[in-house]
Amino acid sequence: MSLSADIGKSGVALGGPALGAGRGPRLRPLLSRLLALRWIAVALVLVGWFVYYPIVDNFFVSTTNQDIFTGEVTQVGLDNYRRLAEDPVVGRALWNNGAYAVLSIVFQVFAAFCLAAIVEGLSSERWRNFWRALYFVPSAISTTVTGLLFYFIYQPDIGILDGLLKALNLEHWSHVWLGDPQTAIYAIIAMSQWQGFGYSTLLFTIAIQKIPQELYDAARMDGAGPLRQLWSITFPLTREMTGMMIIVTVTGAFQVFNEVMVMTGGGPNNSSQVLGTWLYEQGFNQNDMGYAAAIGSVVFAVTMLTGILQLWYTRRRRVLA
Amino acid sequence: MSGATHSARGFWPVMGQAFLWAFLLAVGVVVLYPLLWMGLGGFKSNSQIFDQPFALPQSWSLENYFSAWRGVQGYMVSSLLVTLVSTVATVLISARAAYGLTRTAMPAKPLITAFVLGGMMLSPTVALVPLVRMLQSLGLYDTHWALIILYTAFRVPFTTFLIRAYMLDLPRDLDEAAMMDGASPGQIYRRIILPLCRPIIVSCVVLHILFAWNEYLFAMIFTNSPSVQTLPVGLTSMMSKHGTDFAQVFAAMTLSALPIVIIFFLTQRYFIRGLTEGMAK
Amino acid sequence: MKRSLQSMTAIVAAMSALGAGAAAAQTAVADPAAPVEYEGTIKVLTKFGMQRLAPYFTELAQEYEAQHPGVTIELIQEDDDSVKGKTKTLVASNSIPDVFFSWTGTWGGNFIRGERAVDLTPVIGPDTEWGKTFAPAAVDAFVYDGKHYGIPLYLDAKFMGYSKPIFEKLGLSVPETLEDMLAACDTIKEAGITPISIGNKEPWVAVHYLGQLLAYNVPKDVLERDFDPATAEYADPGYVASLEQFKAIADRCTIGAGMNGISYQNALQELSDGKSAMYYQEIIEFDNSASAKTKLKPEEFGFFPLPAPKDAKGDPKALEGAPEGYMISSASENVPLALDFMKFVTSQANAKVLSAPPYGQPSAVIGGADPAQMSPAVVGGLEDIAEASYLMQWLDTVNHPRVAAAWLSNLQAFAGGSVTAEEVVAEVRAAAAAAK
Repeated sequence: MSLSADIGKSGVALGGPALGAGRGPRLRPLLSRLLALRWIAVALVLVGWFVYYPIVDNFFVSTTNQDIFTGEVTQVGLDNYRRLAEDPVVGRALWNNGAYAVLSIVFQVFAAFCLAAIVEGLSSERWRNFWRALYFVPSAISTTVTGLLFYFIYQPDIGILDGLLKALNLEHWSHVWLGDPQTAIYAIIAMSQWQGFGYSTLLFTIAIQKIPQELYDAARMDGAGPLRQLWSITFPLTREMTGMMIIVTVTGAFQVFNEVMVMTGGGPNNSSQVLGTWLYEQGFNQNDMGYAAAIGSVVFAVTMLTGILQLWYTRRRRVLA
Repeated sequence: MSGATHSARGFWPVMGQAFLWAFLLAVGVVVLYPLLWMGLGGFKSNSQIFDQPFALPQSWSLENYFSAWRGVQGYMVSSLLVTLVSTVATVLISARAAYGLTRTAMPAKPLITAFVLGGMMLSPTVALVPLVRMLQSLGLYDTHWALIILYTAFRVPFTTFLIRAYMLDLPRDLDEAAMMDGASPGQIYRRIILPLCRPIIVSCVVLHILFAWNEYLFAMIFTNSPSVQTLPVGLTSMMSKHGTDFAQVFAAMTLSALPIVIIFFLTQRYFIRGLTEGMAK
Repeated sequence: MKRSLQSMTAIVAAMSALGAGAAAAQTAVADPAAPVEYEGTIKVLTKFGMQRLAPYFTELAQEYEAQHPGVTIELIQEDDDSVKGKTKTLVASNSIPDVFFSWTGTWGGNFIRGERAVDLTPVIGPDTEWGKTFAPAAVDAFVYDGKHYGIPLYLDAKFMGYSKPIFEKLGLSVPETLEDMLAACDTIKEAGITPISIGNKEPWVAVHYLGQLLAYNVPKDVLERDFDPATAEYADPGYVASLEQFKAIADRCTIGAGMNGISYQNALQELSDGKSAMYYQEIIEFDNSASAKTKLKPEEFGFFPLPAPKDAKGDPKALEGAPEGYMISSASENVPLALDFMKFVTSQANAKVLSAPPYGQPSAVIGGADPAQMSPAVVGGLEDIAEASYLMQWLDTVNHPRVAAAWLSNLQAFAGGSVTAEEVVAEVRAAAAAAK
């Protein structure tokens, strides 16, 4: 695509007649080009100051030990990173974040894709809109609310999950879901899938709608059944969306905080700790800002990596302007 | 019109359709039932919540909802304020940025584009520790401004990304024509580009509202006075402060979820339209 | 390009200087002669966020504001769980309120170490007018390096609360030893009732059991040596013994590993609803367990100290608990006013309100507990506190934060059955070594 060239041209022309009427002809384009920065100045300052600068600063903090009570700061070099490598909870948290990512890909990307295909396969537009909107509802609600709600659902005394299992005669499955180190994190992940799949289903239905109908018509002429159409038309033509969704999901999985905080606070015995909650625990409960910053660096490394992957992926598929 | 529309003839296609509908319905029940249970819980008495979790409320008294409302209204005001101001700020700043990036000849444009959009990759968690000190020294700690500024700064990259993609796809004939007529960039932005971008702007507004209304991490760390705290934080503290008065907690949860669900249903058509058109193909 | 890089570095440096600039204030000493100016705002961080307790400070603040129209009292009310994180966040961001809640022990010591609390010796120390209004042991609990830093509000200690009707129905009497209690649990269990309800989702719950057992099994001087990371050894066999005793309680009296998924508030509710026979609680929770509104009525509520094991090597008369109180921030711009407000809060009349239902927080003020107005259980508990030979502080506030964290998470694992008693002690020892 030659979009970028177009923008350049129109942009230069745009600044031209409107600005700097009385100046010399050479100065004018440069001046107007600089003046164009005013469009983006606020965004640059905000993002630079509150998004980029703290992330740079985070690295400096991670090479210190700080006592929040005395305000004392000692330089410790890479000590916090060494501690990181030996901390079993960091390993546990990485595993939990990883499980979050993998299971979210399964449910929020692949299952959501299938669901979107089914919904889009309905012939009534009203029903298509209905299901799409219905499934989206949990995504609109705050994770605090859904986290608390599932905290109640998983409770052995008032929760409906164990009640349901009893009603189905599956009493031996009933369980203190959030109290068992083996199941706590998975119970949280399950809640997250319940909440998140509607959002990706919605995005997939949008992507599917963009596929020209003629392709399906032609496939049907060739005698392809619905599954065949799904596999050879819908799936390849929404690949870009799938790729984006995988990356968004993975990045999101490494930033999880709210639901874990609300449902277990990282327990029992740190078994459901994720990087975000462990950072909070270290920094704000154990008075160890330097170490918390080092944990932050791990989050940074992982999200950066997926970010670069995302860039590489989109670059490969289409030229960015 | 979409994909696999099948003619409903013969036994197997009918069975297939029936199965699909049963599946959609089952998923719908799984989605809706917990929310319904939450809403109904607000009508129950506390002992009924413990003893008969599945039963319908014995009475439909709104008492729990009224007392929960008294508990959350302060947080509701904070949430409303923070959401409103940060939404306007984010969308305006992003729309201007997107215009600058697509329609002007600013220097070092690829670099600036990468800088602004690159902000999408940076996670709030990483910035947390330094931000505590920064906001404190700026005197913003425990104010609504702390949340407004952070929500805006962290959402500008994504919002700019969406609006920019939309603007790139807009035809250029209109603004070129206006330019011939001597319109300034500011006039072109206000009179031509912004109105054309309405669908994506609606989507961005909705997405930002969803974000700001529900954000928890920043709100938990950077506010502490009840008069400044937003709903998600207020809810968790209500939860721990109400001990075992769960009926009220259920009512409070329902009340805090309701506005956002209503907003979504009211705007969903425009929201989806904006996303559909905005998604660069 | 080079120049812009330089200016960037300059900006970054300037900004970090800005951030680091706000260091801790210098040690401030309260001046008893300072005039009180009834002007401005006082921020107060309380631990009374629970719905039941919140009105205490809210009403006092309103009353005080009515008396002094120029003053605004701004309350930040947290509860037991959230106050820990909130306090540290406030410290980290240099915004400690003028008056803030503190436990005794290492928790309070942090504020003194960081020179964040005002030295109150001249106003609340021995032989001062205000100081004389408090129970001496309560004021002394906030002494660090010979100076007074805290205003004690109420006394606290841990007891086993029980349902008298259930005990009577099963023919049980108050157990004298731990072994008796375990036997009683078996009887209660056979009757189809949960003997002790426990919710260890908030992991300090099991830590409180252990604290009391440690006081019984480990000699006092060994304990106090081990609280200090510099001298900690954790070699006494009493540690493992205490853990095994906790295990026995967990196995025979409670739902066991499932406790980690239940909130302490649900567990308390079970006692109030008559679904369990016992719940281990602080004296300040008595009026929560049984009130006019609960199924378990105040006259049906009984309590006893967690019984000591027969062969206890430590002090069988020790009781786990400590007074809790408030400190004044050294960064406060109006220390005299903050003190005046706290004098108002600890007046005898207001102390009596605090001791009586619905609050039931036995005041640390002399004559601030009027038995006629209080629940009999709270009065009885106060007598036990007065008779205790040693008050063992909470393990999670007396220890260094890292050691406390080790106790909390390892005990949760122990309750869940995934580690052994020896492993718990080893982890705590390692944490103490790392905190040295």
